[in-house]
Amino acid sequence: MNRFAKLSVTMLLLAFSAQAVAQSDDNEELKIAALEALISAPPERAMPLAARVLEGDHSDEVKERALFILSQIDHPDAHGMLMSTARNADGELRDEAIRMIGISGNADALASLSTLYTGGDEDVRDAVLEAYLIAGDEEAVYELAANAQTDEEFDAAVEILAAMGASDELRSLRDRFGMSESLIEAYIISHDAESLMEIASDNSNLELQAEAIEALGIVGGDEVDAALVDIYRSAATEDIREAALDGMLIAGHDEGVLELYRSSNDDAEKKELLEYLVIMGSEEVWDLIDAALEEGP
Amino acid sequence: MNDDILTLYFYDDGLSAEERQDVARALQSDAELAERYRRLCDELSSLKAPEDEALPPDLAARFHDTIDRAANLERGREQAAPPRMHFWSFFWGAAVTAALAVGIGIGVWFGGDSTPSATQSTGLIAEASVSPDAFVRSVQVHFRDSRAELNQLSDISAADRMILVASLIEQNRLYARAAQQNDADDLARVLRAFEPILVQLAAEDIAPTDAEALRSQLAFELDVMLTKLSREPSDETDSI
Repeated sequence: MNRFAKLSVTMLLLAFSAQAVAQSDDNEELKIAALEALISAPPERAMPLAARVLEGDHSDEVKERALFILSQIDHPDAHGMLMSTARNADGELRDEAIRMIGISGNADALASLSTLYTGGDEDVRDAVLEAYLIAGDEEAVYELAANAQTDEEFDAAVEILAAMGASDELRSLRDRFGMSESLIEAYIISHDAESLMEIASDNSNLELQAEAIEALGIVGGDEVDAALVDIYRSAATEDIREAALDGMLIAGHDEGVLELYRSSNDDAEKKELLEYLVIMGSEEVWDLIDAALEEGP
Repeated sequence: MNDDILTLYFYDDGLSAEERQDVARALQSDAELAERYRRLCDELSSLKAPEDEALPPDLAARFHDTIDRAANLERGREQAAPPRMHFWSFFWGAAVTAALAVGIGIGVWFGGDSTPSATQSTGLIAEASVSPDAFVRSVQVHFRDSRAELNQLSDISAADRMILVASLIEQNRLYARAAQQNDADDLARVLRAFEPILVQLAAEDIAPTDAEALRSQLAFELDVMLTKLSREPSDETDSI
């Protein structure tokens, strides 16, 4: 069937679909197949048909399919229909319209989502964040984080920035609002060792400092390995020292632990380091055990 | 015979034995088609990741190390009084999850037979720009593969579903990154939009009706994108 024949069939199906509301699942599938065919239609033909579906008495599933078709039409009327549905619909259909605005990537529609976010419930806020994630709009998510009204809003926006790998924005948030657990997690996800090292050397909040040190182990790398050994050696408290050791365990930096073991003159410390080496599966640990056993009483 | 069929023939994917024989016969009898196929092969072969680029040894080593350490940690807990561990459970969860993701990625890249696959080619296209036609064709193959794998979801166990969806997520992410690097922002957005749906599909406790609804939504969106991508360039002006 050629494209115009398909389109004719589509138009006929949709024209009759209003009378076929509340019919069987087969009928629902037929409507969805008809909507799928709309992707082959010229925008000026597809948009009125999609609009009719959105305004008609169809299931949310059928309407959501129409929204996806509209997301693929780069036309102000299509963007307007998506925005109108995002503003006026409820529940899943509204959330899906917001997602489709993200897929469409239209700058004006994306900008208007911030108003929906401010006045919306948690579902709307989540949908808006997802739309910005889809659109790759890091600046918009940063603004939402910077203007968050609650810790939960801030954490949710930070999580999205981490998923986007938006390191600059995440650093700016720490500069403006100080460090937080959610930012440390974000730095892990975005592999930002530099920011974690800065927090790891900041002793104004010992709990977050310890978490950042352990987090360094997940990010890993030669520079991190060396830093963890330094942090262990210069630790002012037992918690920070243990955090550095845990970081080395997570990073698998057994050479660092081995270096600390060899340089230590404290039996209790050597015992603890040896236990870590056993857990880490260090190949040299058996030589150390042999040597320890060889030593006299 | 269109390029889509030839692409599937090249990747030995998506065609029945009978269809493959049809293509082979056509290639033998039609010199013009054979020449077109040869050019297509050159183009698709250029997408294949060289061994040294495809193999991420640091990730593979890190994956194995992390698993070993996790196992050692468990053994250590059982056999001896361990040193104090006050780090968050999140860290181990994240580390092991990341290791499994890498493992799945490695499986995707190196699993299966030696036949070139679309997923193997994503390594290179994710890192560098390729010709727009070749890129679009590789995305088409990805969409087709994803569509076929979605059809299997209802017939497999929850554990297998999680593994299958995790591999789909991994591939989808590579293609999204490739789309971004190839200035195909519209495709990148659609690919990124698939991920939250796939993540929901991977949930262990998802109700069958919810899984079916998500599968159906993804199938529709994949079909629409396949139709859109398969349109002739000359149609661009008078269709969506």
